[in-house]
Amino acid sequence: MEQYINEIIRPKIQGDGGEITFCSQKDDTVTVIMQGECSKCLILDRCIAWIESMALKDLNKKVKINAVRKKPFFWDT
Amino acid sequence: MAHIEVVRRSMRPEEYTDLRFGWLKRHIYDDKTEITTFRIREARQTAEMRFEFYDENPRPLKKGDMYFTPDGTAFIEADAVIPEKYKGKEVRFALKTAAEMIVKVNGKYVGGIDPNRENIVLTPYIDSDILHFEIVAYNRSKPDDERNPESLSVRGCRQIFEGGYLAVINGAVQSLVYDMELLLNIAKSDCFNEDFRKLINTELDNALNLIDFDDINIGDVKRASEYIDEHIFQDKRYGGSGSVALVAHSHLDIAYYWRRIHAVQKNLRTVLIQMRLMDRYPDFRYAHTQAYTYETVEKYYPELFDELKEKIKSGQFEPVGAMYVEPDCNVPSAESLIRQCLYGQTYYREKFGITVDSCWLPDVFGNSWILPQILKKSGVKYFVSNKMSTWNDTNRFPHNNFIWKGIDGTEIYACVPPTHFITWNMPDQVQKNWDAFQDKETGTQTLQMFGYGDGGSGVTEEMIELMHRFDKISVMPKTKHVTAHEFLENNFNENKKLAEWDGELYLEMHRGTFTTKSEIKRYNRMLEYKFRNAEIVSVCRMIKGEADYPAEKIRDLYKKLLINQFHDILPGSHITPVYRDAVSDYAEIDRELDKIICENGNKYFNTLGFKRSSVTFIEDENGKCLRLGKKGFFTVPEIGAFGSACVTVPNGKSDWIKVGKTTETPYYSIEFADDGSIIQIYDKELKRNWIKGYFNKLHIYYDYPGTYDAWDILPNYEEKEEKLNIDEKLHLSYSDGETAAFETVLSTKKSKWKMIIRLFRRSRGIEVENRVDWNEKHRLAKVEFSPDILTRELVCDTSAGFIKREMTKNTSWQQARFEVCHHKWFDLSETGTGVSVINSGKYGVGIGENSVSLSLLRATIRPDPTSDMGHHEFTYMIFPHKDDAVSAGINNIAFEYNVPLIKADCGLDYDFGELYLEALKLSEDGQYIIARLSEQNGRRGVLSGIGEFTVTDMTEAPQYITNEYKYSPFEIITIAFCQKNRKNV
Repeated sequence: MEQYINEIIRPKIQGDGGEITFCSQKDDTVTVIMQGECSKCLILDRCIAWIESMALKDLNKKVKINAVRKKPFFWDT
Repeated sequence: MAHIEVVRRSMRPEEYTDLRFGWLKRHIYDDKTEITTFRIREARQTAEMRFEFYDENPRPLKKGDMYFTPDGTAFIEADAVIPEKYKGKEVRFALKTAAEMIVKVNGKYVGGIDPNRENIVLTPYIDSDILHFEIVAYNRSKPDDERNPESLSVRGCRQIFEGGYLAVINGAVQSLVYDMELLLNIAKSDCFNEDFRKLINTELDNALNLIDFDDINIGDVKRASEYIDEHIFQDKRYGGSGSVALVAHSHLDIAYYWRRIHAVQKNLRTVLIQMRLMDRYPDFRYAHTQAYTYETVEKYYPELFDELKEKIKSGQFEPVGAMYVEPDCNVPSAESLIRQCLYGQTYYREKFGITVDSCWLPDVFGNSWILPQILKKSGVKYFVSNKMSTWNDTNRFPHNNFIWKGIDGTEIYACVPPTHFITWNMPDQVQKNWDAFQDKETGTQTLQMFGYGDGGSGVTEEMIELMHRFDKISVMPKTKHVTAHEFLENNFNENKKLAEWDGELYLEMHRGTFTTKSEIKRYNRMLEYKFRNAEIVSVCRMIKGEADYPAEKIRDLYKKLLINQFHDILPGSHITPVYRDAVSDYAEIDRELDKIICENGNKYFNTLGFKRSSVTFIEDENGKCLRLGKKGFFTVPEIGAFGSACVTVPNGKSDWIKVGKTTETPYYSIEFADDGSIIQIYDKELKRNWIKGYFNKLHIYYDYPGTYDAWDILPNYEEKEEKLNIDEKLHLSYSDGETAAFETVLSTKKSKWKMIIRLFRRSRGIEVENRVDWNEKHRLAKVEFSPDILTRELVCDTSAGFIKREMTKNTSWQQARFEVCHHKWFDLSETGTGVSVINSGKYGVGIGENSVSLSLLRATIRPDPTSDMGHHEFTYMIFPHKDDAVSAGINNIAFEYNVPLIKADCGLDYDFGELYLEALKLSEDGQYIIARLSEQNGRRGVLSGIGEFTVTDMTEAPQYITNEYKYSPFEIITIAFCQKNRKNV
């Protein structure tokens, strides 16, 4: 899953000015850190749902993504 | 008794007008028919016009469905039949979206839809009631223009499809909406006459009272419009002043929050939208920059390119900006800026038969002093650049329409418009422009660009409709919609009242862009000189009949370098994939140039026009020195101008150096500190100490500029510093007959910094190599130099001459220039002696009161959270010297430091005297050899003794034949000659 996030998902997220970093996995729950534009995205839940659906399609794995936003200091108000 | 704040809960009359305006806008569409046959294939773009699809077949797309993916492009199709009830009416396609869509119907490009426009006219472009839609749609999290508040609410990678419609617009309602947009903007802006604003509020209320909003009918709407015309538009009691030229333009970043591959569609969408507006509004003129963007239309959309050529011919579509792209104008070398003009103008001439007489750089981060002569000698009369007026953080740039005098004295007409290059043609924007215009007494108009931009998009119907109403508003400045050329020609040409600005156009902001993304800067410098070497070697081989000149290959590669000098690529202000693209391009250019140079044999070719006398690193797999990851040895090659010779490995002993409390060399007694900084240098030849404070002292500063992270460095950056640990004290690590190396290893919690200091037997230079594993965030690495020099001037190389910058902090102008851009070297000198620091890919210099600092690395997180992370290797050389920088020949030493020897048996029988050979190439028409020469020491002289030659401009157009040319200080000259038969152009 870490490799999938880093190699398949990450370039796509970066293409939108975002950033995703694999953090940990416990059972079916994968925790990722979202930075850049993703950190303040109002509709991030839609993107997370898409990542879950892609993981199911590509890896045949049903996972729950726990997204932690890490805002840069200048947006962290 | 506590004070109770009274909050007004009832509605003010102005708010009631706003409310009714909202109700009115709901009736813009007379009728809408939903298209229910949409199908979509989600994809991701992988290269120009290449996509990888997520699904093999399209899926149905219904209203309320989710569509788009991160970094996604969607291919959408639909079929529809125009309803009978729309017969004879103007039919539109309506679709509200955050994405950017290029729409084809029945095989014809009908227009573009994006966050700034939600419908397009179909009627003139279709000849059937049966419609087949093909839409290419690109979505991203940063909409075209954050200044459009409506687009902010819909940003995000995954969108909800709001449906697509065939629609008919109610012209009367639409017209009233435009009237009200215009008037409400004035009513709400405090830059207009208060009495007139009060009149608008009163009369708009009266006009809207004529409409029954429970049952809107066309008669009421028309009556309201007539009322507004009679009671507001025809009321001329309130006068305005000013004269504003309105030029339609859309700024397009070739890469920024998107990759270059996406700019192909972003540009096409922009061009298409503007051409469709020209169809609808024959008086509409639009200015579009960057020859590269025209090339992409030609390459990928030939059917639209033909239409574009017609629009250019008719004068509606106006190419502006002579350069190939809109490059950064601080970091690129003179030759790169010349090539921007050469390849730009060559394209415009070949494809459209025109020479573009403007340089159009609205968004660049300051402009080098070398530009005026480059532009003038490239057929450019006018320079336009916005940022100094609106972005300066300290001083107000004093002119908008003026004459810019360059480093060599060349004068060019310059326009720095008072306001932003992205506006949406609202009356208050026009008024603010006039109010801010500082050259009113010159009798000129002020320039207002209008049109959405950054990612293209451009002008909307609304902007044109509003513009057509401006004449009705008595309080507004007089406006005129013109082409860029008309504005420039009418206001600048022969205008004797224009003030002059003699100096660089320094932007008091974005000072971090000289340093952000160190690897890009390193590649840029290295490749600029590699191109030079490749062209010179190719000319040599062509003259000797050994090989054809690879003109097309070099041109294609050069264009790739120029694209990467775009003002959001080279400065480092872009997202992660843009960086990857740039580095990939650089690596490809590097490989291909190596193939062209094709090193072989035992001799080394000196492409410089003077004898090499500086210590030089020669790569050799048997060498014992390791420098920048390569084995080799140091020697003084002693190879003559444009000559080649063998280089022998020096085999002397290392007894020239003595290491103790002080280190003794033939030139110096040096006392080092454990961290690699230098406590004192005693110069045995000049009999003086060099150091007064910190010298070669590495600092890691806290660097928190805020939202414009990659762009800016704040003036207080020195306030807080990261502690550097000394993991290994400085110690002697290597010595031979030519050099000795001392190493120290420093660290922070996250990074390792190895510093290697090299001393030389036969050079005054002290080289510092840095190998850094950089894992910081919000840090700025600088190396500080405080020499014992009494001077108030910092002399900086510009790549084509030097600029002297004041170091004192007496004025706000001096204070604002605390970080400046330089090229190969900077120098501090007093009468008789000085110290230079020469670099091989660094550009930022900090100016302190008694010190200077070379900026080495940054660690920014926006737009790229991964910026500059990883391993870096770079060098610089400290060079104490006799006399000043010019007399000491620092520029030539810096050339030797940056221009590598080539392993090739070549030679050139040229003597250009003291002029630097910028470039030697085959002319673009393949007929002649072009030599570009620059005077870089501020000294006039005569070029002669090379037979007859033709002086050309920088676009290689011949001027006259001569055998002697008297050049001025800092002049750049282009000459052409035929080597074989000495026949001139």
